Amino acid sequence: MAKKQYVMLVDTARCVFCEACVTSCRAEWGTPLGVSRNWVRETMTMTNDGMPRLSFLSGRCMHCEEPPCVPACPTGASFKRDDDGLVLLDRELCTGCEFCVDVCPYDARYRDPADGMISKCTFCAPRIADGEEPACVNVCFTRALTFGDAKDPDSEVSRMLKQGGWKRLVTDEVDIGPNLYYSEDTVFDDSVLPKAKKATVAARVLSDGVNPALKIGLGGMVGLFGVAGLVKLAKRKQEVANDEHGQ
Amino acid sequence: MSTGNNPQGKMVFTRPKSVIRIHWFNAVSWLLLTVSGLGIVRGDLRFMPAGFTEWMQSVVGGQFNLIVGHSLYGIIWATILAAFAIANWNNVMLPFLKRVLTLTPASILTDMKSMGITIAQLFGLLKKAELPPVGRYNGAQRLLGTMILVSGVLITLTGVAMFIMFLFTELMVKGAIFRWSLVAHAFFVGLVWIGLVAHIYYSVIETPEALEGMKSGYLDEDFVKHHSPGWYDELKQEGKV
Repeated sequence: MAKKQYVMLVDTARCVFCEACVTSCRAEWGTPLGVSRNWVRETMTMTNDGMPRLSFLSGRCMHCEEPPCVPACPTGASFKRDDDGLVLLDRELCTGCEFCVDVCPYDARYRDPADGMISKCTFCAPRIADGEEPACVNVCFTRALTFGDAKDPDSEVSRMLKQGGWKRLVTDEVDIGPNLYYSEDTVFDDSVLPKAKKATVAARVLSDGVNPALKIGLGGMVGLFGVAGLVKLAKRKQEVANDEHGQ
Repeated sequence: MSTGNNPQGKMVFTRPKSVIRIHWFNAVSWLLLTVSGLGIVRGDLRFMPAGFTEWMQSVVGGQFNLIVGHSLYGIIWATILAAFAIANWNNVMLPFLKRVLTLTPASILTDMKSMGITIAQLFGLLKKAELPPVGRYNGAQRLLGTMILVSGVLITLTGVAMFIMFLFTELMVKGAIFRWSLVAHAFFVGLVWIGLVAHIYYSVIETPEALEGMKSGYLDEDFVKHHSPGWYDELKQEGKV
């Protein structure tokens, strides 16, 4: 059980699509061009009177309660920190194999072209360790982003969540407990809804094919030769008994 | 292979001490590398329960140490075996390969038939079935030997590839190279262990004389005559028995 639970609240009514959050993140982490740890996406729906209604969604890793990227990682590089619920990456252990990239329903991970490792939003873990806000929150001049510990009853995010009017970006099929909340009037369209992802082919071949087959094969061999050993033991006992009988 | 002194009467010299040492080094290495390798893979892809991987990592002081230790020892293992094979190419390796490799479909089928009969006979079945002529190695041994040699090369190549990608992630063109190397590495290690179950059973339970031979380098002449008649005839022709 996490001692803290960091969450981010996105009030899309305040977002003006300036992308300062994306720029500040890029500057903070030196992210190369072509990839990004966070994004702003435009969603649209039509109202009953035929008018379009737009939302600007600032998105990033959702630091989910049940992140599929963690069990997908063969080395344990991808992990969920007990202390604060952050989903992080141990760069010392990361191989850049991308098993985790393929299973994220939010497409929040990517392979960094500069160093070959997996990269993603960490809610600016080093900054929050120093008592600062994540870079994107700090730079958002419309205050569309609010960050804090949802388990601290005195925090701003606790107060805001208590007031209500927030929803998570989930579907009936994909609900893995994202810790990013959006204001209730936010438009979620198909372009941003999480997609149920299958593990990559290699992962399925290993977990559903090779591993079970080897367990059956090894078990079968141990069973077969275990029985052969018992047959030999029984024969030997019979021989000894016959010898004793003969004497 | 030169014939050594026969210390116990009707004993046949089968292998020099260097081969015995490399066999046991290989056996211990397989055990260490398998146990440490099983401790590395975590999450949905692990073969062992999560408790085992956690315990293994705690034993060596963490996952990084385990990965590096397993990889370096694997490289040392492969290097020693390769060096031994090269240094003893003409007197040990080439004769061994000639006798043990079974590569054509016809010889594989023959060896599989021979293996099936040998296993059935453990249970008192197919007692009268005619076995193909047995040289130094029987069908099951040839299949196992070939499988271990081929798997060993592939395990080494995939292991080295993964270690390089682990150390220098920027060198990896695509994550898929690592992913499929891991699948192949795990598959071939498991395949060899399936064969090793039979190898260990036969050497410990069925033919402990063979195990003794892998300690002393000598086999009883009657044992050779009974289990490897083709080889016995060869030795006879060479005047070694």
